Amino acid sequence: MAHNKVIYGLYNDEEDLLRAVKVAKDKHLEIMDVYTPFPVHGLDPILGLSESRLHIAGFVYGMLGTLTAFLGMTWIFTKDWPVIFGGKPYWSVPAFIPITFELTVLFASIGMVVTFYLVSGLGPGVVNNYLDPRITDDKFCIAFDEHDLDAGSAGSFFKETGASEVHEKTL
Amino acid sequence: MRTFEFTNRLRITLLVGIAIGLICLGLTWFSASDDGFHSRFWSNVLHNSAFFTMISALAAFFLAASVTAWAGWYTVFKRVWESMGLFLLFGLIMMGLIGLSVYMGWNELYHWNDATSVENDQILDGKKGFLNKGWYFFGTLVIVGAWYFFATRFRALSLQEEREGNGNDFQLHRRLRFFAAAYLPVFGFTMCAMVWLWIMSVDAHWYSTLFAWYTGASAFVSMICLTILILNYLRNRGYYQNVTTEHMHDLGKLLFAFSIFWTYLWFSQYMLIWYANVGEETGYFHTRINEYPILFYGNLIINFLVPFFVLMRNDTKRKMGSLTFVAAIVLLGHWVDYFQMIKPGVAHTAHEIAVQEAGGHHGAETKQLGAHDHGHDAHGHDKGSHDHGNDSHGHDAHGHDGHGHGHGSFNVGFSIPGFLEIGTFLGYLSLFLFFVFTSLSRSSLTSEHDPFIEESLHHHV
Repeated sequence: MAHNKVIYGLYNDEEDLLRAVKVAKDKHLEIMDVYTPFPVHGLDPILGLSESRLHIAGFVYGMLGTLTAFLGMTWIFTKDWPVIFGGKPYWSVPAFIPITFELTVLFASIGMVVTFYLVSGLGPGVVNNYLDPRITDDKFCIAFDEHDLDAGSAGSFFKETGASEVHEKTL
Repeated sequence: MRTFEFTNRLRITLLVGIAIGLICLGLTWFSASDDGFHSRFWSNVLHNSAFFTMISALAAFFLAASVTAWAGWYTVFKRVWESMGLFLLFGLIMMGLIGLSVYMGWNELYHWNDATSVENDQILDGKKGFLNKGWYFFGTLVIVGAWYFFATRFRALSLQEEREGNGNDFQLHRRLRFFAAAYLPVFGFTMCAMVWLWIMSVDAHWYSTLFAWYTGASAFVSMICLTILILNYLRNRGYYQNVTTEHMHDLGKLLFAFSIFWTYLWFSQYMLIWYANVGEETGYFHTRINEYPILFYGNLIINFLVPFFVLMRNDTKRKMGSLTFVAAIVLLGHWVDYFQMIKPGVAHTAHEIAVQEAGGHHGAETKQLGAHDHGHDAHGHDKGSHDHGNDSHGHDAHGHDGHGHGHGSFNVGFSIPGFLEIGTFLGYLSLFLFFVFTSLSRSSLTSEHDPFIEESLHHHV
C-alpha cells in the first residue's frame, strides 16, 4: 500500500461533525473517511454510504444452519443410528425444531461476526493503523487524503467548520 | 388536520357493515345447518366478542406498558390506543350478555355448564369450583368492568393533561403512570382467568398452562395489525401527518417480532403435549389435526411464514403497501386462530349433550377417568383406531345419529368459517371501527401537551 499523507481534524461533538460533513459534501470535497467512537445517527445518508450487505450474508448463514441441523438430524436419526425415544418415530420433526432453531441462530450470528471481522480487517492479533487514539474515546474525526485536498484548503475547511485540532499523519 | 372528522360517508359504510353482521347473525340463528342449541350462532358470538374484547384490552395494556416504561415514541398516535381501549365498554356488554346466556342456560357452549354431565364426570366435577356459571357471569362482569375502568382513567387523564398541562409538567403524567402500572398486574392475572373461562373451557376436560399466553399473543398481534391499518387509513385521509414512516416501521417490527413470539408459544404448547403424549392432553390436537387440518396448518402459514418472510427485510416494514398487506392477512389469520380454538370444543360439547339427551349409551363411558376425551371417538367405532389417527370409518357411524352437527364430519361454520362467519366478523369489525372513529373524533388526534410529544415527533430509528 502506498504511503499516504492524511490530514485530519478532530471535533468535540457529533453535531459539529455532522455539520462539517454536510459542508464538505456541499463543497464537493472528497472525504477519505470519518471516524467516530460510536455510530452517529444520520451520518450514513449524508456520506452517501450504501446499505450494508451483511444482513444478506446473515440470512444465507442462517439458512445454512437450518439445513445443517435439519438434514443432519434426519440422517443421524433415520440412517446412521436410529434410536427410539419415548415411542416416537425415528423422524420426529417436532423434536428437531428447537435444535434447528438453535443452529440457525448460531450459524447466522457466528457467520456474521466472522464476516464482519474479515471485511473490516479486525481480529485478534491484527495491528491496525489509527490516526489518533482519542477517536475511540471522545473525538470525532474527518480525514482527507492529501492527493484529494491540499493541506491549505483542508486547514481552512477545518477552521471554518470548528474543528478543535488539525493534524497530519503519514500512514 | 388536528381533529378527525367522522364523515357521514364513512359512518354509513360502517353502519352497513354492522347491519351485514346483524343479518348474518340472524341468518345463522335460523339457518338449517345450526343445531337445536343454536351452537353455531352462540359460538360465532363468543368467537368475535372474545376476539375484539381481547384486542381492546391489549391496546389498553400496551398503552399502560409504554406509559410505565416512560416510553415516548408512540405519543403522537396514542389516541388510537386510548380509543381502542375504550371499546372495552362493548366488550363488557357483549361478554356480559354471553355470561348471562351461560348463567341462564340459553345455550350449550360449555360442557361444564350442563348439570347432568358434571354429575357423571369426575373431571368436570373436580373443576366446578372454577368452571361454573357464577364465576363465568360475575367474574366476567367484575373483571372486564375493572379493565374498562382503567381504560377510562387512561383516557380521562390524557385529556386532562392536554387541557391543563404545558408539555413539561410531569405531575399528571405521574398520575397516569400510577394507573398504568396498576393495570399491568391486574390485567396480567385476570386476563389469564378470563381466557381460561371464555375460550379454554370450551374444551372442558383439556387444559394448557400456556394457553393464556398463546391467546394473549394472538390478540396482541391482531391489535398491532388493527393499529397499522387504522393509522394507514387515517394517514391516507390526510390525518396524522406527524406519524412518520419511522413510527410505522416500529409498528411493523412489533408485528414481526410478536408473530414470532406467537409461533414460539404455538409450538411450545404443541411440542410439550406431543412429547408427553398424555391422552387427556393430546385430545385437543388430535381433533384439530385430523378434523381441521386446513385451519391447523394454514394457521401456521398465515400467522408465521407470511409475516416472517415478508417483514424480514427492512424496506418491507417501511413501505405501506407491504406492511398493510401483511397486517390485513395476519389480522384475518388470528381471527381464524381464535376460530379453531373455539369451534371444535363447541361442536364436541353439542354432540355430547345431544347424545346424552337422546338417552345414548354415552353417559356410562364418560364416568371413566381418562376415557372421556376419547369418548366421542369411541362412540360409533372401535377405540383402538383412535391412536393411529385413522378414524375415517367412524364418520359414517356419526352420520346416522342425527344429533348435533354430525360431529366429526365436514361442516361449514365449524370445520371452516363460512360466509355467515365472515359476515359476522365484518359486523364486529365495523362496530369496533365505528366506536374507535367516534372516540377519535371527540378529541384532538395528537396530545399537544404530553411531556413526551417532542420525543415522538422526532422519532427516528
